[in-house]
Amino acid sequence: MGKKNARANDEVKGDVNMSPMIDCCFLLLIFFVVNATAITVAKDPSVKMPSAVSCSELKDANGCIVVNVYADTDKMGSKALEKFSKSYPAGTLWGVTDANGNSQGYNSSQTQDLTDFIKKQKELMESRGVKPEMVRLYLRGDMAAPWERSSSAIRCAAAAGVTNIVFGTLPSK
Amino acid sequence: MARHKQIQTEEQEDPEMNISSMIDCCFLLLIYFLVATSLVSEKKLDISIPASTAGASSKKPPLEPARIILRADGSVMWGGDLPVAEAYNEAAEPGTSEYRSQRELEQLVEQLKNFKSTADSMDAEPIVMLTGAPTAPHQRIVDIMAALATADIHSVGISTADPEG
Repeated sequence: MGKKNARANDEVKGDVNMSPMIDCCFLLLIFFVVNATAITVAKDPSVKMPSAVSCSELKDANGCIVVNVYADTDKMGSKALEKFSKSYPAGTLWGVTDANGNSQGYNSSQTQDLTDFIKKQKELMESRGVKPEMVRLYLRGDMAAPWERSSSAIRCAAAAGVTNIVFGTLPSK
Repeated sequence: MARHKQIQTEEQEDPEMNISSMIDCCFLLLIYFLVATSLVSEKKLDISIPASTAGASSKKPPLEPARIILRADGSVMWGGDLPVAEAYNEAAEPGTSEYRSQRELEQLVEQLKNFKSTADSMDAEPIVMLTGAPTAPHQRIVDIMAALATADIHSVGISTADPEG
């Protein structure tokens, strides 16, 4: 044991070559930077996403107007319910997030407000140079939400002039 | 003046840049992006609803649209009277055969593929009208959409009338 220690002391102070590690680190960094920019659709954890057997990757989130459709509060998990009640008043059926990151909830009597919001977002996107056909409604419906809520959101989008609908799903297990 | 400067640099020892702070910074960013990147990304199902026909030609399409009815219990009817999927069981666990068969809707896919090949032979676009009960779960609509995507049908009309009343 002592001998080993002595031998270590005899050695010349060595430097670790850091360059391969830095190379590797940069490579990983660039990978994650590129990956992270692709996911720009705001996600609300209060929505339990449905799963689909045949679905494809969302290549470009630019032009997506995200509308969350919530299930009844008794069907939500405790964590989801906590987040939901913090963000929205009771009775909220649809939730949206505007360009400044502010969340806004709409109840069943506010379909006109939802239509106005979608119309405003559409105009905003088009003024930023998004092609009209690329403006889409990204419907993040909870798997347990009744269909009438999703169809009302689609109706609002159609009234606002958005006819392309994207159903948010998770790949089926 | 120039000579004086040159002498001064020659006198200095071999300079080394301290890169440890850069590595710190790099690691920090790496960890940030690692955490921020979610591994399970959401997928999508693209559909487009028909635009208003006001002012368009009144010529009828050569092929009648197929009708799919989703009932409140989650069962699916083809053409109004042919049942193609059982009632929806919310409690089915992911990974079980029951869950898989609920997601796949094999009978519906088969009907849709037949409809698609008929439409192709007539050189017409296959259009499907989907009527869902207001209380049917959203998951069931997504299952039907997935079946349509499997059968390569991309034009769906969504009716919001209640098929049971």
